[in-house]
Amino acid sequence: MLSPKRTKYRKRHRGNWKGNATTGNKISFGDFGLVSTENKWITNRQIEAARIAMTRHIKRGGKVWIRIFPDIPYTKKPAETRMGKGKGNPEYWVANVKPGTVMFEMAGVSTELAKEAMRLAGSKLPIITKFAVRRDLEQ
Amino acid sequence: MDSKTLTCAPRTDFGKGGAKRVRKEGKIPAVIYGHNEPVSISIDAREFSKKFHTVSENTIITLKDKDKSYDVLVKEYQDDILTEKILHIDFFEIERGKVLKTHVPVHTTGNAIGVKLGGVLEVSLHELEIECLPKDLPQEIVVDITPLELNASVHVSDITPPAGVKILTAPETSVLHIATIKKEEAAPVAEESPEAAESEDSSGSESEE
Repeated sequence: MLSPKRTKYRKRHRGNWKGNATTGNKISFGDFGLVSTENKWITNRQIEAARIAMTRHIKRGGKVWIRIFPDIPYTKKPAETRMGKGKGNPEYWVANVKPGTVMFEMAGVSTELAKEAMRLAGSKLPIITKFAVRRDLEQ
Repeated sequence: MDSKTLTCAPRTDFGKGGAKRVRKEGKIPAVIYGHNEPVSISIDAREFSKKFHTVSENTIITLKDKDKSYDVLVKEYQDDILTEKILHIDFFEIERGKVLKTHVPVHTTGNAIGVKLGGVLEVSLHELEIECLPKDLPQEIVVDITPLELNASVHVSDITPPAGVKILTAPETSVLHIATIKKEEAAPVAEESPEAAESEDSSGSESEE
């Protein structure tokens, strides 16, 4: 699963997730993309599940790019703990996804196969996604 | 060379509010610039989006006003990332008989030997920068990939441009290659907890409660 190799600080503020994606909103590497239409934190488990779903569907042939990286630590307090006594322990990592973010890209497969693979991948994510094609391929 | 015709109207409503009003009327605000003074115009959104699927930076469009016409290229466009509606277009006016610089898409033809052997065609450069006269402007540059074997690549220097076209992209740039794909490994059972990444943390981290 994706996670940072090392971090400067163990815990961080939550930040904000307002607005649309201003970067990472274009299909840059492949021919097809899976685009987010909502803002949400996507965990490294969800990214891995989506990746496995799409690579299993395309079997061999085709290349997949993961355009998001979970670099935000998600903390949780242990069960049955009273409130206070500081911030909880880091449990897993999340990526901040905004509307318009291209989360996955794919190349080397037919449009139908890519569409189905992206649909399967999208079903592993907690957001509504849409399939996108590079504009010069739309012809 | 591909050419299309669109009708345009001069625009007098400017700024954020003006652009919104223009869009509400079913038009797209646009600007024409180049060797003459910039002109603000608006074009019909429905007419443009119908034709825009086949329009790219290398298509010469003739914009027709009541009494004037402009030969232009789409230099840049802004679109809504969610609805994919075109918000604004920059048209670059060209002069017939004068050399112009633009980008053309690279398309492939044939089925590579390497792909048949299990490789994947990976295109790293989708567009080439070229210089040519408007009459020589190609719609696309086609690369024949049939003889390519596994791990073979095509560089800009390997591409023969059409007559009258000069490629400006650096010749050593890789355009595409046939990559070998690793077999997907089973997902690792052991979990990578965030603690693993914290092992190399600085000593100044907060103390545990």
